[in-house]
Amino acid sequence: MSNVIHASNLTLSYDNGEKQIIKDANFSIKKGEFVFITGPSGSGKSTLLKSLYGQLKPTEGDLVVGGLNLTNIRQRKLQELRTHMGIIFQDYKLVNEWTVAKNVVLPLMIAGYSTEIQDTQARRLLKHVKLSEHADKYPLELSGGEQQRVGVARALAKNPVVILADEPTGNLDDYSSNVIWDLMENACQQLDTTVLVVTHKIPTIFSLPYRHFIIESKGVYEVH
Amino acid sequence: MKFIKNHLMFILPLMAILLGIEFFLVFDRTTDTYEKGLKEGYTMLVVSKKPVELATFQTLNRHISSSEQIARDGIVSEVAKGVGKSTSAAIIKALPYFYNLGLDAYLKSSELETIKKDLKSDTNIKRVETFGGSYNSSYRLFAFIKFTLKLFIVFMTVVSLFLIIKQMEIWKYAHKERMRVMEIFGAPLMLRSGILFKVAFVDAILASILVSALFLYVKFYWAAQSGIDMMVENQEVLFRVTDMGILLGSSLLIVIVAVYSVVFSNKGVEE
Ligand SMILES: Nc1ncnc2c1ncn2[C@@H]1O[C@H](COP(=O)(O)OP(=O)(O)OP(=O)(O)O)[C@@H](O)[C@H]1O
Ligand SMILES: [Mg+2]
Repeated sequence: MSNVIHASNLTLSYDNGEKQIIKDANFSIKKGEFVFITGPSGSGKSTLLKSLYGQLKPTEGDLVVGGLNLTNIRQRKLQELRTHMGIIFQDYKLVNEWTVAKNVVLPLMIAGYSTEIQDTQARRLLKHVKLSEHADKYPLELSGGEQQRVGVARALAKNPVVILADEPTGNLDDYSSNVIWDLMENACQQLDTTVLVVTHKIPTIFSLPYRHFIIESKGVYEVH
Repeated sequence: MKFIKNHLMFILPLMAILLGIEFFLVFDRTTDTYEKGLKEGYTMLVVSKKPVELATFQTLNRHISSSEQIARDGIVSEVAKGVGKSTSAAIIKALPYFYNLGLDAYLKSSELETIKKDLKSDTNIKRVETFGGSYNSSYRLFAFIKFTLKLFIVFMTVVSLFLIIKQMEIWKYAHKERMRVMEIFGAPLMLRSGILFKVAFVDAILASILVSALFLYVKFYWAAQSGIDMMVENQEVLFRVTDMGILLGSSLLIVIVAVYSVVFSNKGVEE
C-alpha cells in the first residue's frame, strides 16, 4: 500500500529557524490508516498538523503528502492538494455569516460544482451528521457539538484523501465527542480515508485498529 | 446602518475622484472655447505705407492667421467731412493702410513682442500696435487658474485613493476569517477575494452613476437657470455621453488597483 504521508528528517521551526519545534522526525502513514497524535501541551502537535496542510514549510528534510513534496511546493499545487484534504479544528472555524448548509459545501464551491450539486450534497452531508433540520441556521445558533458536526461534514464533503483534525473534541462533552469519533471512524472504514487526529485523550470506545504517535522533546515516536 | 456607512466610505472618495476627472474634462473643453475666443478676439493693429497681402504677413511671422483691412473710405469720410472731393482724394492717397491681424494661438507677451519686431523688419510697415498689457495679465490669470485646478484635482485624487485603500483594508479585515477558512480549503486568491471585487465593482458603478447624474442635472436644469453666461453658453460641453464611459472606466480601474493592492499586500494570511 502506498504512503499518503512520508516524513524524512523533518525539521519544523518558527521565527526563521530560530525556534525549533520538531527535529529530524521520520514517519510514514499509509492510505486508510487511522492515526492518533498525542503529547504534552506546547510539544508541537498543532505545528506538525500545520506543516501537513502546508501552512508551515519544513525548515529541513522532506515532507511528502499525496505525492507532493511540501518543502518546495508551489502555491497553486498546494491549493490543489488542500482540496483533497478535510481539515477539522478545535474551534470549528466555520464561516459565521454563512448558513450551515453553505458552510458544509465550501469544498464543493471551491471545486466549482454547480449550485444544484451543492444543494443535494448539503442535504446528504447534513443528514449524515444528523443536522438536517439545521440547514438554514447560522453556526452561532448551534451548540458546540453541533458546530463540530458541521465541521466534520465540511471535511467529508469532497471525499478527501486525508482528514487532519486538531483536537476535534477538545471543546466537547463525552457524548458529543463520541458522535465525532464515530463519524471519523466511519469515514476511515467506509471511504478508506486516511485520518490523523491530534488529541490529548484517545477515546476509550474505539473499534478500529489505529496507530499512535507521541510528540515529545522535538521528536515524533510511535507507541506500539 | 454599518453596511451603508461602509459603502459611503468607499463611494464618497471615489466620487471625489470622478468629480475631479469630470471637472477636468469640462474645464478643458470650456477653456478651449474661451482660449479660442481670446485668440479670435485678439488682433494687432498694423499701419503700412502700401497694401500688404496676408501671405506677406505670414512670411514675416507664422502666428498670423488672418488680416483684415480697415476700410479707408470710412475713415476718410469721417476725417474729410465738408472737404471737397479732390481734397478727400488727396487725403486718401496720403493715408496709410490699416490692418487688423488675427493670431492663431493664445501667445505670451514675449511672443507678441517677437511678432511686433518681425513685422517692423519690413520697411513698408510703419507702426504695430499690440495690447500687451491687458493681454498679459488675463493670460497669466488664466494659466494660474488652470494650474491650480489641475493641482487641486491631482491632490484630491491622491487623498481619495488613500481613503479608498484604507476602506478596502477595513473590508479585508472584516472578511479575514472567511478568507482564511477558504484558503485552508484550497480556494485560489480570486475566489477568496471575490467578495471584495464584487462590492468594489458595485460601488464603482454606483459612484459613476451618481456623478453622471449630478452633471446631467447641472447641464440640463441648473446651467440654464443659473443666469451665468459662461454656463449658458457652454451648456453643450458640460457633460457628454462619452464622459459616462470615461467615468465608469476610471472608477473600475481605480477599484481594481485598490483591490489588488490590498489583496496582494499580504498574500497568505498567517496565523
Ligand atoms: N506562529 C508561531 N510563532 C512562533 N511560535 C509558535 C507559533 N505557533 C506555535 N508556536 C510555539 O510552538 C510550540 C508548539 O506549539 P503547538 O501549538 O504546536 O503546540 P501543541 O502541541 O499543539 O500544544 P497544545 O496541546 O497546547 O495545543 C509552542 O511553544 C508555541 O509557543
Ligand atoms: Mg495545539
